[in-house]
Amino acid sequence: MAGIDIDAPGTTELFIGNEAIARGALEAGIGFAAAYPGTPSTEIMESLASVAKKMNFYAEWSVNEKVAFETAAGASFAGIRAITAMKQNGVNVISDFLANLVVSGIGAGLVLVSCDDPSAISSSNEQDTRNIAKWLDIPLLEPGTFQEAKDMTKWAFDLAEELDTICMIRSVTRIAHARGNVTLGELPRKEHKAHFDEIASFTPTLTKFAPVLSAWKHQQLHAKLDKAQEIFEPSPFNWYRGPDKAELLIITCGSCWLYSLEAVNALKLESKVGILKLGTIWPLPQKLIEKHLSKSQKILVVEEIDPFLEGSIKELVADLPPASPHPTFYGKRSGHINAFGELNPDMVIEAIARIMDITYESRPAEYSKKAEEVPLTYMPPRLMTFCSGCPHRATFWAIKNALRLDGRDGFVTGDIGCYSMALGPAGFCQVRTMYCMGAGAGIASGLGKLGQFGFKQPVLAVCGDSTFFHATIPALINGIYNQSNFTLIILDNNATAMTGFQPHPGTGMTAMEEPTKVVSMDTLCASLGVPVEVCDPFDLKNTTETLLKAMSKDGIKVVIMRRECELVRARREKKPLYKVHVDPDKCLGEACGCDRLCTRVFGCLGLEWDKEAGKAKIDETVCAGCGVCADICPQGAIIKEAV
Amino acid sequence: MDMKVKGSKELLTEVIDAGLCTLCGACAGGCPYLVSYKGRAVLLDDCTLSEGQCYRYCPRTYTDMDAVSQQVFGMPYSGDELGAVKEIFLARSVDKEIHERGQDGGTVTALLSVALAEGIIEGVIETKMDDDKIPQGFVARSREELLECSGVSYEPSPVLEALNHLPRESTEKLGIVGLPCHVAAVAKMKTYPPQNRVNIDNVKLVVGLLCGWSLANGFHQFLQQNFDLPRVTKFDIPHHPGHTFDVYTKSDKESVELDEIRQYINNACSYCLDMTAEFADISIGSGRAKFKGWNTVIVRTDAGAELIKLAKAKHVLETQPTPVESVTNLKRAALNKKKRALNNIIAKTGDKNDLLYVGLREDILDNLLA
Repeated sequence: MAGIDIDAPGTTELFIGNEAIARGALEAGIGFAAAYPGTPSTEIMESLASVAKKMNFYAEWSVNEKVAFETAAGASFAGIRAITAMKQNGVNVISDFLANLVVSGIGAGLVLVSCDDPSAISSSNEQDTRNIAKWLDIPLLEPGTFQEAKDMTKWAFDLAEELDTICMIRSVTRIAHARGNVTLGELPRKEHKAHFDEIASFTPTLTKFAPVLSAWKHQQLHAKLDKAQEIFEPSPFNWYRGPDKAELLIITCGSCWLYSLEAVNALKLESKVGILKLGTIWPLPQKLIEKHLSKSQKILVVEEIDPFLEGSIKELVADLPPASPHPTFYGKRSGHINAFGELNPDMVIEAIARIMDITYESRPAEYSKKAEEVPLTYMPPRLMTFCSGCPHRATFWAIKNALRLDGRDGFVTGDIGCYSMALGPAGFCQVRTMYCMGAGAGIASGLGKLGQFGFKQPVLAVCGDSTFFHATIPALINGIYNQSNFTLIILDNNATAMTGFQPHPGTGMTAMEEPTKVVSMDTLCASLGVPVEVCDPFDLKNTTETLLKAMSKDGIKVVIMRRECELVRARREKKPLYKVHVDPDKCLGEACGCDRLCTRVFGCLGLEWDKEAGKAKIDETVCAGCGVCADICPQGAIIKEAV
Repeated sequence: MDMKVKGSKELLTEVIDAGLCTLCGACAGGCPYLVSYKGRAVLLDDCTLSEGQCYRYCPRTYTDMDAVSQQVFGMPYSGDELGAVKEIFLARSVDKEIHERGQDGGTVTALLSVALAEGIIEGVIETKMDDDKIPQGFVARSREELLECSGVSYEPSPVLEALNHLPRESTEKLGIVGLPCHVAAVAKMKTYPPQNRVNIDNVKLVVGLLCGWSLANGFHQFLQQNFDLPRVTKFDIPHHPGHTFDVYTKSDKESVELDEIRQYINNACSYCLDMTAEFADISIGSGRAKFKGWNTVIVRTDAGAELIKLAKAKHVLETQPTPVESVTNLKRAALNKKKRALNNIIAKTGDKNDLLYVGLREDILDNLLA
């Protein structure tokens, strides 16, 4: 499969949506790309970084989304086209800078890509970032195909420069991660030249790059949006397919375009149902929409997450002259389309069938019943869990035991990362709060100040290494400054593991695979004047004792759990740490003295319960050879041998 | 309390959370779920077994005294104040080092040294205090290690956790030194031999220590706050007319009023009927004020009698008779403990027919409650 930098204009390649977006940025001639990883956006930056050197532009993983966006803005201010990409939560992180940047305008083309995650498949929340475009007056595009993902991205830079404002592209998981045909365009080969032109001359003038005279600039921004609307009216990213007069008009955008098309085709209603697919989402192409509204008295709006188009189109209709026809709207508010979660063609079929009062069975009922039964019969139930050999399982084992031994009802405030799995049995349900990047330490800092109200429970705030740099440091400093009481546990597995092992400031490597200075979390924390301990989580005894000692002291304590992500280690070393097996003569199984501790409680995927033999055994295809289970087996029946 | 054997969750609710746990350690260390930590028995994870040895051997779950007595002494429980007695006398170690480092006369250490030296036993499960004077179970296998264990900790000690930690295939002959609760748990183990643990027949000698109560409920924090514990060499509560808790360092002795200490008395001990470790081979206590530097020794079994004989023959122990008056006082104290405990239990349950763990015949109960 070709990389995104293949120089073959006119040929067609199979790209995932994120690659198509990255390709669009290349065709737009970007000189700068910055991001913080987050599913489903990550591959945009990954594919850009992989070709940055070759294509003579700069790419970085930044410490967080806000900083990424600010670095990209810096490039834009110096005349370099720049892109930043993030998942929906990242948009919340950048919102302060974004709200101010729209006041000033930009330098060279600056594009923000937000990848939403309907159904929150890989996210803590389900959030529709289209709303921020309306809220902050930002021109917004949403691709409905992979080709559009590429073409829109390229165009967004031109648009941003023409309007002198940041442009936003909203994508969703099924665009970001599905794969489709993309016909390539030219790759520009111009040299980038960066210079910050906004230098005050001998006659002092106000810089452009500051949100001042903001009310006046707000008015200017509205003028920019009016211009955007004019540009959007004839845009080829909006189109209508269907009869001149339709019984039902579907208005849709993004991945729902294909769902709608499939639904209409499946129902063979091509001559009765029209589809207006919008690619320019904000500001809406008002005239285009009004023109198509007259096609039908029934409008079904198909979109994922919030009723954004539905509400905005209704606003347009409310402003129509009284004599105009006011159609009936169907969508999320009427209950025809789910107001949460991902959609699919069946859901759209069901909505159309309900509105048009037709019966349609997508498949025989008997088949549906069987299809529902099969996974329950043949697929074992799967919980969210840690990989076999994951250091986090060992860490949470030590945390669990330390909290029980301590006996003061201590608990963990969690954070965002692989270790969020510790909400469930994988981490022995030790995580008792989990919100957003950095929130674990922030919440702990508050809890740790409740002593005057009788609060005596020890609090362990847990964060990953990348999360530490992203958003935990301010909360840690807050706790120290305000003399709070908690233990910060940094799970340092030397990678941004959950999103695919991206480097971070602690790894000594950049996005462009260049070695760099290691930002030491140990030294940083120690410089704040708090005790710092470093543990190997595979050493359960020492880790437990260190945690107990930390909990026994007042104030802020930092414990760093240092053990490389097993997937990173295994990729590099290509062999397990230990060869592990169970001695069946020693294994007690379900008898008193064990009660299946390893398979029932510890629950590593590499351990199996052999029902017939009544003994534990190692699943050699899954076992990563970390050897931790050998230390938890009360009988010494699990044996690890050095490889 | 139910006579049925139950699991760890019931042990938690019926004993540990109910304030009956003496932290003997019988439940701990035999499985990955129950461990002792700084004066508490801790359940680390849910064990799903409906019957567990943790529950079975706990001295505060139902104990059929006749069955246990039958196993240890070959006869039903007598109900006598001091339990089964072959002889009572006063003794002390001839060895000066043992005498000085031990409590009172150093008889326990002297007897165990002989037993080790003569190969009657190969290891002694004992309480050893760490530098911070936290008592823990320990297996002493030499005279030097025995001496490291000498001296009394007044805090609860999970001695039997060390027994449960031994590899189940071990054939090491063992002695055990414990308080009445430890000794009762070992007697239950002898009566209902454990599975997946070390063979209880390996235990050849049980030395019981006379006991009124232990100190818990924040006593260790009290010690930490008031003494430099790593420097402490010995604790002592001298007998009547003494009224102090004495803390010795190499060069010094500090005393705390006993009344100040009483608030730390382990409440669980108020439900204990046994002052003299009735299921031991030999029970040993202080010679009291009248015989300072001596120990009271109660010999209960043949094994106990033979060890005394050997110790005398080897000239490590000197003895003298206990005056009748002292025996009478001892019996009165032991009987009072039984009566007090029974009344405390009834006050706790609010039901004369619910005596928690106490499995005594009615005739004995009637005598005690009369």
